[in-house]
Amino acid sequence: MKILVAVKQVAALEEDFEIRADGKDVDEDFMLYDLNEWDDYSLEEAMKIKESSDVEVEVVVVSVGPDRVDESLRKCLAKGADRAIRVWDDSAEGSDAIVVGRILTEVIKKEAPDMVFAGVQSSDQAYASTGISIASYLNWPHAAVVADLQYKPGDNKAVVRRELEGGLLQEVEINCPAVLTIQLGINKPRYASLRGIKQAATKPIEEVSLGDLSLTANDVGAANSMSRVRRMYVPEKGRATMIEGTLAEQAAKIIQIINEFKGA
Amino acid sequence: MSDSADALVKLAIKAGDPYVAAAVHELATGALKQQLEQLILESRRTALSLARWEHTPASVLAALSGVGDDAVDLRLDKNPNTEAGILSNLYVDASNKGNLNLTRLIAQHRNSEVGVLKSIALFAEDADSLLALSKNPSATAEVLASLSARMLDDELSVALNKNIAQNNSASAELLERIYERSDLHTQAAIIGHVNCPDALIAQAMTSDDLLIMRTLARDARISTDVLLQYAKSDDAGVRCGVAANAKTPVSVIGELVSDKSEMVRREIASRNDLLPVHIVRLLVDTDVWVRQRLARNAIAPLPVLSALAGDTHADVRRAVARNTQCPLELLELLATDSNAWVRAAVAYQHHSPLELLIELAADEDVDVLSGVANNPNTPQQILEKLVASSEADVRRGVILNKAATRKTLLPLLEDPYYLHRVLMVANPSLQELDKWNLREDPDYQVRFSVYRWAVKNIAPINARYIVGNEVIRRRRV
Repeated sequence: MKILVAVKQVAALEEDFEIRADGKDVDEDFMLYDLNEWDDYSLEEAMKIKESSDVEVEVVVVSVGPDRVDESLRKCLAKGADRAIRVWDDSAEGSDAIVVGRILTEVIKKEAPDMVFAGVQSSDQAYASTGISIASYLNWPHAAVVADLQYKPGDNKAVVRRELEGGLLQEVEINCPAVLTIQLGINKPRYASLRGIKQAATKPIEEVSLGDLSLTANDVGAANSMSRVRRMYVPEKGRATMIEGTLAEQAAKIIQIINEFKGA
Repeated sequence: MSDSADALVKLAIKAGDPYVAAAVHELATGALKQQLEQLILESRRTALSLARWEHTPASVLAALSGVGDDAVDLRLDKNPNTEAGILSNLYVDASNKGNLNLTRLIAQHRNSEVGVLKSIALFAEDADSLLALSKNPSATAEVLASLSARMLDDELSVALNKNIAQNNSASAELLERIYERSDLHTQAAIIGHVNCPDALIAQAMTSDDLLIMRTLARDARISTDVLLQYAKSDDAGVRCGVAANAKTPVSVIGELVSDKSEMVRREIASRNDLLPVHIVRLLVDTDVWVRQRLARNAIAPLPVLSALAGDTHADVRRAVARNTQCPLELLELLATDSNAWVRAAVAYQHHSPLELLIELAADEDVDVLSGVANNPNTPQQILEKLVASSEADVRRGVILNKAATRKTLLPLLEDPYYLHRVLMVANPSLQELDKWNLREDPDYQVRFSVYRWAVKNIAPINARYIVGNEVIRRRRV
C-alpha cells in the first residue's frame, strides 16, 4: 500500500518587499520559504493512515522545484514520510499549476500509489488546481476540500466529507484509487521530533529529471503553460483613512462611522 | 578577548552558521570579527533577515548598517534593537537622499538620539515625520516644545498638539501653552496628562463638558466635592470614572452600587474598599460581569465566594477559583466543576494543594492539565508524566514551572517544538552542559539562543565545554 503526497515549498512575503526587475514576481531575497500549510495537513492524514494500518503503508512525498525545496522535503521526512522525490529542470521555471500537475502525474505513474493527497491550494499562488489537474491527467476520481476522511488501506472505496459554503458538509463515497485535496483543520499536524529531524538529514532525496519522466523542455515552463504571469504589482491603496486624534476622539469617530453605516 | 570568549568565537566561525555568528559577534575583535561578518553578510537574504529580526544583537545591526543597502537600512530603522549611534548615521544618510520614509521611521524610533529628534523637530518638512516625532515617548520636553513652537501657526499644529497632549514627555509649561489653542478633545487629553498643571485641573473642574468630566472623574487630583457632584451626573461615563476613582468616598459607593448602568456597577465591584452592605448588593446583581468582578475581588468574604461558587455562569465560578483568597474548601468543590475552564482555574491556582493537583492530573482536558503542569505545588512524579504529553501546551507548562527540577526537565531538551527548546536554554534549573548540548540543534533560533546564553554567561562557563568540545560530547544524564 502506498500513499503519494504532492507537496510544495511556498514563499511568504516580508512586510517590505521589492518586485523583481522583470516585474513578474517578488525579488527572491524578500521571500521566506516553508512547506505549504495545506500540505502539512495532507502529510499528517497520510501518516495517520500509515500509523493506524495493520498492513505496511509507504508514504512518499513529491515536489517540483529547485534545490531549496529539499529543505521542505526533509521536513516531511522528519515527520515520518518514507521517501522523498524532487523533480526539477531549469526549463520548468514558470510552469503553471497544470504543467506541475502533469509532471507530478508522470511521477505517480511510475510510483503507482493507491491514493494521492494534495493540499486544497498553495498559500502563495492559490490556483487550487494542481491536485485536480493530476486527477484529470490520471483520469482518477477526485474530491476537493476534504475535511474528513474514512479510509483503510486495501479498501476500494473511501468516504470523505467535503467542506462547502455556509458551514455545510457534503459526505461523498469515492472509488479508489483517488486524488483528494485536503483542507486545513482535518487533523492536527505533528511537529517533527529531534530524532526525526536528525534521521531525515541523512536520508536521500531522490532527484528526478524530466528525462526520467519521459518529458522534455518542450513540455514544461512558462512557454508551454496554458497561463502565464504578465506582471505582479501592488495595487493603489483604496479609500482607507487613518483615524487620528486623541484616544477619546478616535473612539468618538469610530462610533460615528458605525452609526453612519447603520443609518443612525 | 578572554580565552573563553576567543574559543566561543572560533567555535561559532567553525559552525559556519550566520545566526550563531550573530550571537557571538559582540565578543569578537579584529580578524575574527571580520570572519563572523563574512558569515553574517554571506547573502543578501541573510542580511535582510538579520536586519529585521527582533533578536539580532545591536553590534550586528551596527555591522549591517555599513552594507549600504536601502532595503537593509529600512529594516534597521524599524528594528527596536538598533542603537542611537546607528540611527543617527542612518538619519544623515536619509536626509542626504531625501528619503522621507526613513526619516519618519527614525522620528518614531525609541532609541533615536535627542539631537536627531530635535533636528527633525526643527528642520523636517514632511507631516508624517513630524507627527511620528510628536508621538515618540523618547522625544524630550525640549524636543516637543521646539516642535510645537515651530509649528505654532501651521495647520498641522492641531494634529501635533493632540499627540503632544498624550505624550508623557510633554512638560507642564508646554501643556499649559497649547491648552487654550486646542479643541475639547485635546483639552481633555491635557487634563488627563500626568504632568497637567494644577491650575488647569482647577479650571477644568468648573467645566460642564462631558469629555473633560469623564477624564477628571478618574483623576485622584480632583476634590471630593467635585467627585460628589460628578456622582450625580446623567452621563454613565462620568459616573464610571467616579466608580473607578480611589478617592471616591464610601457614601458615594453606596449610591453607585445600585447605579442603573452595569458599566458603573462593574467598576464598583472591583474596588477594595467595599462595605459588607455593598458586597451583598453586588452578589445578587443581574449582570454577569459584575458578579464575575466581585468573585475576583480579594476582599470578598468566604460566604460571598461560596455563593458565587454556585453561580449558574461558569465565568463567575472560574473567577472564584482564580481569586487569590479562595479557600481550600471552595477549590475542592470547583475542582469537580463540570466546566473545564473552572477546573483549569483551580489547577492554575498557586495555593491549590498537592492532593487536589494529583486529582486534577487525571483530568483529560488540555487546559486543566496545562494548569497542573504550571503549578509549583504539583509533585515531580506528576510533572514527569506530563512531560510526555502529546499536547505542546501541557509540556510548556512544565517548562515554565519554576519548581520543575532538572531531572523532570531533561526529556524536554528533545521537545519537538523549537520554541520549547529555546525556553529550555533560559531555564535556571538546567545545568550548563544541558544547555550547551543544544548548540547544534536543527533550529537556528535554538542555536542562536544557546550561543547568546553562552555570551551572557561567558565568565561562569567553564571554557573546557568549548575548547574541549571534541572531548565532551553530547552527554545525557
